[in-house]
Amino acid sequence: MGDVVLRVENLSKNYQMGEVTVKALKDASFEIEKGEFVVILGPSGSGKSTLLNIVGGMDIPSEGSVYFNGKLITGMGDKELTSYRRNKIGFVFQFYNLLSTLTARENVELAVEICENPLDIDEVLEGVGLGDRAEHFPSQMSGGEQQRVAIARAVAKNPQILLCDEPTGALDYETGIQILKVLKDINIKYKNTVIVITHNAAIAEMADKVIKMRSGEITEIMSNANPISAERIEW
Amino acid sequence: MKKLDVRLLRMIKATKGQYIAVLAIVITGLFVYTAISNSAINLRDSINEYYSETNFADIFVKGTAITEKLESELRGKNDIKEAEARIVFDTDFMTDDEENNVNIRVVSADRNENKINELMMKSGIRTLTEKDIIIIEQFAAARGISPGDEVKIKINGRIYEFNVSGIASSSEYIYMMENEQTLLPNPEKFGVVFLEKNFLRKIYSSRGNFNEILIKLNHEENIKKTADYLEDHLDRYGVSRVIKKEDQLSNNVMNQEISGLEMMAQSIPIVFLVFAGLMLIIMLSRTVRKDRTSIGVLKALGYTDIEIVGHYLKYAASVGLIGGLIGAIIGTILSGMITNYFLVFFNIPMLTVKIYPHRIIISLLLSLLFCLISGFIGVRGILKIHPAEAMVPEAPKSSKRIFLENIKSFWSRVPFSWKIVLRNIFREKKKFAFISGAIAITCGMMIMTIWMTDIIDIMFNRHYDEFNKIQYNISFDSFKNKDVLNEFSEALSIRNMEGRIEIPFEIENGKLSKNAVVIGVEKNTAFYGFHDLKGKRIHVPEEGILLSSNLANFLNVNTGDEILLSSIVSDEDGYVKVAGIIKQTLGINGYMNINYLSETFLHKGIINGVYINSQDDVKSQLEEMKDINIQSQFDMRSAFEEFTTVTAASMGFMVLFSGLLGFIIVYSMTLMRINERTLEFSSLRVMGFSKKEIFSMLVRENMVMSFIGIIIGIPIGLWLVHYMGMTFTTDVYTMNEPVRLGNILIAIIMTIMFIVLGQLMTTLKIHKLDFIQSLKSRMS
Repeated sequence: MGDVVLRVENLSKNYQMGEVTVKALKDASFEIEKGEFVVILGPSGSGKSTLLNIVGGMDIPSEGSVYFNGKLITGMGDKELTSYRRNKIGFVFQFYNLLSTLTARENVELAVEICENPLDIDEVLEGVGLGDRAEHFPSQMSGGEQQRVAIARAVAKNPQILLCDEPTGALDYETGIQILKVLKDINIKYKNTVIVITHNAAIAEMADKVIKMRSGEITEIMSNANPISAERIEW
Repeated sequence: MKKLDVRLLRMIKATKGQYIAVLAIVITGLFVYTAISNSAINLRDSINEYYSETNFADIFVKGTAITEKLESELRGKNDIKEAEARIVFDTDFMTDDEENNVNIRVVSADRNENKINELMMKSGIRTLTEKDIIIIEQFAAARGISPGDEVKIKINGRIYEFNVSGIASSSEYIYMMENEQTLLPNPEKFGVVFLEKNFLRKIYSSRGNFNEILIKLNHEENIKKTADYLEDHLDRYGVSRVIKKEDQLSNNVMNQEISGLEMMAQSIPIVFLVFAGLMLIIMLSRTVRKDRTSIGVLKALGYTDIEIVGHYLKYAASVGLIGGLIGAIIGTILSGMITNYFLVFFNIPMLTVKIYPHRIIISLLLSLLFCLISGFIGVRGILKIHPAEAMVPEAPKSSKRIFLENIKSFWSRVPFSWKIVLRNIFREKKKFAFISGAIAITCGMMIMTIWMTDIIDIMFNRHYDEFNKIQYNISFDSFKNKDVLNEFSEALSIRNMEGRIEIPFEIENGKLSKNAVVIGVEKNTAFYGFHDLKGKRIHVPEEGILLSSNLANFLNVNTGDEILLSSIVSDEDGYVKVAGIIKQTLGINGYMNINYLSETFLHKGIINGVYINSQDDVKSQLEEMKDINIQSQFDMRSAFEEFTTVTAASMGFMVLFSGLLGFIIVYSMTLMRINERTLEFSSLRVMGFSKKEIFSMLVRENMVMSFIGIIIGIPIGLWLVHYMGMTFTTDVYTMNEPVRLGNILIAIIMTIMFIVLGQLMTTLKIHKLDFIQSLKSRMS
């Protein structure tokens, strides 16, 4: 730790809804270091997904800057942002968003095919506990298994940052804990930065850093010197 | 294989019904294009090769006293490369059956080889002696004549017997019509034979003169200039007509047929490709909408817009390539059949059915281009999908009242089930327009096809029942005094008889001119039923000329205008007033009072033919009469019967193609609508609707769209009829008969049959749908 992988400065995002301007994100600033497990915590509508989308290069801010390894990404064009998402970022979504006509392995291969320095697919699938389910289609899998595929798909790209938007939001408690454990294991094993967005305060206990948000603003940033393991979390 | 390609293959598999449907439309369009355009090329190339091989004449000059010396005099002048004089006349071919009179055209031929219009031997030998005869293939085949047979021909009143030395084809008689008035070939009743030139000069012509000279030029582009020169400079040889290659009867008919084919090759496939394209647009835009989240994921994974658009475009490209390839292959195979179909009428010995790789490539590129453009229009929405927004469920579409709801008095009377139907239709305006459009085109094409089938029948029947009531048209070799009619009265038991005059004229109106035969008939002729364009019966005027509508259109004249008539057989010319424009479905002619025609252009009291209606077998009873040629309406009708049998098959194909379009669109679009609305149907099922009730809802939607489609299809059909009528109206046919109500009704019934078939095919899909499962899957 010590190297800043992501620096966010005075980030704002406004949406125009008819005649009303909605300020989804207001003047957010923070830094995340390489290898950190970060939880962005906030209730629905607090702006955390907007923040994640901008950090992940999927959306552009109204004001402010985001630096990835010291390089400004908020000024990038569409082509550079695509390359950034392709090689530096891995996404895990709340509803998995797997391609239903591809098997688990093929979903992972789909991501790996276009990136520069991917990991071994079998190893990643084993790592998320899906070694024997690789040839199944999403419709043949449980929610937890589908989320593991989604994690494997994001991880196999060997991204520097793994952005997870409510990864346990659609899962039951036990499956949610398993998924968090997988994310933590990956964080440790591959030493990549993991940013988890959640409204579940309990998850914050396993983070190295917690960024709290409310109504589009960062209300608190705190470091956790003694994060607990995923198995010990309860909600 | 790349995973996106794997996904593409599975996407095709999952939508195989629609994929096959759109593929079928592309295949149909492409095979029609390839088959027809290949046939046109095959025919054109084969004819050009045939003409080149036989040194087909560029100009045909008819005269009365053409000498052998003229050949050498013309050579080298006005780009003339070669000239060859010959004798041509029509006479009787003697058969064992006295009642079976057959006309033949005798053409003189060089002993060994003609310099121009050389024959192409099919069997026997080319060498001709005084006792030999070469017979044209079509006639020999129709009458079962083989080399070595003996045949008898009447020449100048004397019967000569010849040995058939060979059977040959002639490039001059690819389409073997006796003259412009006979309309159809009838190889059993009319043929062409070739006799040795010097022998024929001895027994037929006076002073050994010829009555035709064929001209071959160094450069075809000089035909018109040289023809004008010949018209102006050959008066002393009794030149009556100078016929350019393009006007030569057989060549002219061939060119018109091939042009018709080329026009079809350019129009029909476009209709199919446009509909395939529209279907692809709808299918792919719907797929992109459905795949919105997946597209967002792909973008989040780092796939570029080009890669994602390319992924979906491959779907369209595969339709274009596979459809194009299959269409081109089927078309190439069928082009052989279509080309061979033309051999029923055309004798082209060198006909080669070739595979044209460049045509296949053009077909492929054409369908690929259509599909890619349509595909891009369908998937361009991908570019607008923002990855961050794509992860959030799409906001429900805003629903508004449809315009019918504003008509309160109407809407309040509409039953609930029909309200759902009408709302569904008018909220999906593009799909509604597409399905109605396809049904409209199907109905329009049906009307056109049924009309085409009907018009051929009407043209012939009307011509021979209502317009031309001549049982026997007897032509004299030269003008005779009217007293000659007594000879016929004595020889036959006659119901009606009138002398007539037929003279070929060049008819001019300013810069427009056309060669046509003007017929002089009695004022109250019993042999023609003249009607003006409004259908009112009219009589031959004392003065002036009646013009067939096609001729009047060509010359751009109306009643009251004056036109210049220049006789092709004499130097006489004069202005004549157009007294009326008449309906005539077959052939183009002018009609004048026989006395007025005589006074203006000839000596009074002479005729060059006679019309006879009689119960007798006129042909056999006039067998002994010299220098006459008899055409019977019965023979013409028999030839027509044969012709309609052959055309029926091609009309059947047209009906099938038209119906296929409606069937495929209704089937695939109904499938698409079922797939899109499973949740709606599931909800209805939960509410207690039966499968039958849901199906009947779809049927009602299709009924409304079909009704509107058919209503729109009627004017489309009428326009197509007008267009086809304009396109296929030639010197031979005038296709300006309006569509009959019966045609429209038959077309509507057939359109409905194809729609119902498409609808029935989808019932299986409705019954297979697991509504409860689809409800669950949307909820989880």
